[in-house]
Amino acid sequence: MTTSIDSSKFRALFQAPPTQPRRSIIRAVDVKKIYRLGTQEVHALRGATLDIYAGEYVSIMGPSGSGKTTLFNIIGGLGKPTAGKVYIDQVDVAQLDHNELAWLRCRKIGYIFQNYNLIQVMTTLENVMLSMNFAGLETDEAREKAIYILKLVGLGHRALHKPAELSGGQQQRCCIARALANSPAIILADEPTANLDLKTGEEMIELLARLKSQLGVTIISATHDLKMLKRSDRILWIEDGRIVKVAHPSEIDFASAEFH
Amino acid sequence: MATRKIQHQVRLPWAVAFDVVKQGVRIRLGRSLVTLSGIVLGIAFLMSITAGELAQRSVAQEQQLRTEAKRMVNFLLAESGPLAGGTIGIIQRGPLQETESRFLQAILREKPQRLAWAESNPPPPAALATTVHRVPLDHVADDAVAVLVLGDNSGPAIDWGRLLASARQKVVGLTRGSAGASSAGVVFASLAWEIPAEELTAMAADQKLAQFRTRWMGAIALVVTIIGIANSMLMSVTERFREIGTMKCLGALSAFIRRLFIIESSLMGVVGGVVGTLFGAVAAIGLYGITYNFSLVLGSLQWGLLAGQALLCVVAGIALAIVAAIYPATLAARMVPAMALRTNI
Repeated sequence: MTTSIDSSKFRALFQAPPTQPRRSIIRAVDVKKIYRLGTQEVHALRGATLDIYAGEYVSIMGPSGSGKTTLFNIIGGLGKPTAGKVYIDQVDVAQLDHNELAWLRCRKIGYIFQNYNLIQVMTTLENVMLSMNFAGLETDEAREKAIYILKLVGLGHRALHKPAELSGGQQQRCCIARALANSPAIILADEPTANLDLKTGEEMIELLARLKSQLGVTIISATHDLKMLKRSDRILWIEDGRIVKVAHPSEIDFASAEFH
Repeated sequence: MATRKIQHQVRLPWAVAFDVVKQGVRIRLGRSLVTLSGIVLGIAFLMSITAGELAQRSVAQEQQLRTEAKRMVNFLLAESGPLAGGTIGIIQRGPLQETESRFLQAILREKPQRLAWAESNPPPPAALATTVHRVPLDHVADDAVAVLVLGDNSGPAIDWGRLLASARQKVVGLTRGSAGASSAGVVFASLAWEIPAEELTAMAADQKLAQFRTRWMGAIALVVTIIGIANSMLMSVTERFREIGTMKCLGALSAFIRRLFIIESSLMGVVGGVVGTLFGAVAAIGLYGITYNFSLVLGSLQWGLLAGQALLCVVAGIALAIVAAIYPATLAARMVPAMALRTNI
């Protein structure tokens, strides 16, 4: 294991905390998505418009079937809208071919999954290094950076363990480290605390909040976890394919039935 | 959009894909072994039927040679009487055929005292060197119980009356053709035996049928192997849907995913092909060895042809594995990255 790591070298790799406030990192304009199921058309999104700013922590909520997942996928570069424009870091997603989309997913976006989705056959370190490999980072440099990031998420001591040997919280930390591997501007988190117990979930929320302020990454999560919602800068409530409400957590009465 | 900041995703070197596959195979060793055993069985079957056919053909050829030589000796004995202790004169005219060499060896088993080999002829086969005496052509028949003419009997006519004047018995055995001219008091025995035409066609038809059967079974073995590999590769793909989706989320290109499965399959093809070919060859030779006897099978086998077949079988194993992986690999490569987000897979 490398003992001395010059963290400033890697800190510089991440986006600087927002100097110009409210720089739009994701912009969706009248996004529509229609799926075809046989002869039927399913309108998953019926015109969603939103702006997410650099360094923001945004939560997306909505009942199942509301189009939440579709919106999440589209702003994450995992799918293209049927109509409307989506800009990720000022790039129009619709104009990208699959190769450029892969580049975008690799460099600009980090994904955190509910089930962690770690590659079971690889060690923690290799998991983190894999996305760096996809970015073409040389092995030695990747290794050094991966160790730095693992230490950043508090997993430095488990670098050579396989995911199966880690607890749920540690696996999620590894997943977060992997998401951070290529210094993305955006982190997409899909129910990141759903499979974790209360205490570990809180630790994860703390970690994400710390990363947000330390590294200036934008965090977008789909979640129903109240603790997570309370830490967000904004909450988007989506219903029937439309964004019906955008609010700061303080404006929302979490006790009311609307959010359960 | 003023600037286009998006670049093309880098293409990963084969070495990275190979590493990922190696780890995958090591961890999923059990399932890999199942796939592998399918290839081994398929290739072993292919190899065993082709090697079996080769062994059978070689043994049949060998046995035919032996019967032919024995029959020629019997034809000669019918005219000359026992050869034991006598002298046999040999005139070689033209190159020897395999049957003629065998015939000479069979003659030796009749224990003649000596073979008088005409000096003007090409030297006798090395196997006979110890029992052969080289004598001038004119003295070949001295005290001989029989004179043999080997080869195609070309060249100037021989004055048999003068040549056999000093012989004990005036018997001339011709392995091929006829004496050309007859001579008073000399018995010419034609040892060659023409196989009747209808028997030849029947044999050819038999051989064709056997060949067809071999090819048909071989083709079925190949198809079954392909289906087996494709099936287990498909399983491997569905098993790894989320893993593939995750890799795509991390920036893997479709080509990389496709490469993973092609590499995995061709690795199996190499190992399965080699192991299967060895198994198949050992099984075929072993079976024929037990049925006939080992020295006959091992002695008559055409090893060069066997090596060629083995090489073809290994190549077939690799080719099958790659062909079988095309569909599963394409399926995996086409998968959308959003699959990684689904929790119910």
